[in-house]
Amino acid sequence: MKLRVLLPVLLALIVGGSFIAQYGPRPEITRVPFPQPKGWPKPLYDFKANPLSKEGIELGRRLFYDGRLSKDGNFPCASCHQQFAAFTTFDHNLSHGINNNLTTRNAPGLFNLAWQREFMQDGGVNHLDLQPLAPLTAPNEMGEEIDSVLVKLRTDKRYKKMFAAAFGDTAVTTQRMTRALSQFMLTMVSANSKYDKVMRGEAQFNLPERLGHGIFQQKCVACHPPPLFTDFSYRNIGIPDDPFNSDKGRMKITGKSTDSLSFRVPSLRNVMITAPYGHDGRFFSMIEVMEHYRKRLKVMPATDSLMRKGIPLSNFEIGQLTAFLYTLTDSSFIANPHLAAPADITVPVAADAADHQRVR
Amino acid sequence: MWLSLGVMRRKLRIGAIAAGCWLLAALPGSIRAQQNTLTLQLLARAGQQALTTEDSCTNAAGETFAVRNFRYYLSHIQLAGADGRYYEAAETAAYLADMRDSSSQQIMLTTKGPVQSIRFLLGVDSMANVTGVHTGTLDPAKGMFWTWNSGYIMAKLEGRSPQSTAPGRNFTYHIGGYKTGQQTARWITLPVTATPANRLVLAADILQWFGGSAGVTIASHPVCHEPGPLAVAIADNYTRMFSVVKEGEQQP
Repeated sequence: MKLRVLLPVLLALIVGGSFIAQYGPRPEITRVPFPQPKGWPKPLYDFKANPLSKEGIELGRRLFYDGRLSKDGNFPCASCHQQFAAFTTFDHNLSHGINNNLTTRNAPGLFNLAWQREFMQDGGVNHLDLQPLAPLTAPNEMGEEIDSVLVKLRTDKRYKKMFAAAFGDTAVTTQRMTRALSQFMLTMVSANSKYDKVMRGEAQFNLPERLGHGIFQQKCVACHPPPLFTDFSYRNIGIPDDPFNSDKGRMKITGKSTDSLSFRVPSLRNVMITAPYGHDGRFFSMIEVMEHYRKRLKVMPATDSLMRKGIPLSNFEIGQLTAFLYTLTDSSFIANPHLAAPADITVPVAADAADHQRVR
Repeated sequence: MWLSLGVMRRKLRIGAIAAGCWLLAALPGSIRAQQNTLTLQLLARAGQQALTTEDSCTNAAGETFAVRNFRYYLSHIQLAGADGRYYEAAETAAYLADMRDSSSQQIMLTTKGPVQSIRFLLGVDSMANVTGVHTGTLDPAKGMFWTWNSGYIMAKLEGRSPQSTAPGRNFTYHIGGYKTGQQTARWITLPVTATPANRLVLAADILQWFGGSAGVTIASHPVCHEPGPLAVAIADNYTRMFSVVKEGEQQP
């Protein structure tokens, strides 16, 4: 009699249990919501294809700081994208690649990537997941091959565990590697500067900041609209070609002469900690940028219509504007421990960069 | 005759029902029987010759060259029967045919009856070009992807020629581009006649990459590594490269 009752119950448990194990939610993958700032537009990134998880983000973070993604082991993503400089290369016009190579462009800051449709300053890369493959395979940057990186990751016990935790099994593929990197980079949301606090009613501008904000809204906002402080367009702002580093920018991608020397409008968030400026880092200080806009820009056939007369700026206005730009620095972002290197990884740095870090 | 008419009638009725049941049960089976497999065999050729990495070829402009790499994507492989309606015939979204890998040049297709024509996309569609990192044959690690200007290389032809002015006398054609005005994926449609039901042989003739309205030669254009007018011109050329090989002339 007892057996008659027990047997079906046991059977149901076994069948149900195996069904849940097969099709039920995987308890080991912890989904994480995207930290969407209030009042911001909807992100463009397709989170359905690559939902954020604690494990995926953690794997992405390790990959971002791991030198083995480069050919000689010394150039992780983080070597050119340093957190304390809002993920640009601190104090470098051009970054360093393997074998004493220089890159051809100033490393852009990495933040608010979920709202960005195209990547690289020429917009050549059309998906965040694809972006890491460009520096990884560029001979003057990380100089590696995708397959070779995958082999290195597959032979690492810790990665095996981490890939399984993030994706369900130990397979290490290009898609999983890049999706994990995207997950980590998507968490680089910078939305907590003084400007943001003022907008949220948590702080107030001082007088120069307020005056600077007014000037900004008159003279800068057309290309640098908040909250992202860029319209993601490509513009020729009258920066002449450097014959020793010839780079036609957007024209390389579109093949159109009207895109000659056009580069994406950079975000002004964290701008005061991301010098040098310009696509090739030719402006070593903010004052040089202002001088360019008011006097030095060279009008070419492809120069943007908004730039053809330059931007009239008085010395006074430059002072107030600079005060405003300082309010765009997000100090909690550059100190966020979740974006820093995992505790057991020391990021290799070039000698000169190491000196700068010590000063910091 | 010990059975009455009524009983016979009942037996007949039962028989008819049984036959109907049998027919119903057998029908999916007969449809299944019609769904045969067909092997699509791809051959790499230079004119009428089989393409090898050792032999020298000559194009219409009289240029001599040796090919070391010839690869191309095929996707959306579809077949049509007598009614002219195309149906998806392949299991995988995209195949990567490689002259140096014979297994990559054999594709199993599922047919629904006799085949009258085949069509496929030489290359991959725009969707695959804008949706991030893919797996399998579309893995960017396969070397058929541009990382600096996102997009698949639809087809690749590389080799050496004394007529090349590029370093190492190399000529390298990496043909890609999916945006408006730069599209290099091409629909190929071929009528299929007089082939055995289970095998279809297509030859891809690399000599067709040259010439055309743009007059492509190795001397004039040894290198094509980006989307644009040259890539489009070569794509227009390689649209002509496929032909159905008749039984008996498969091994030239």
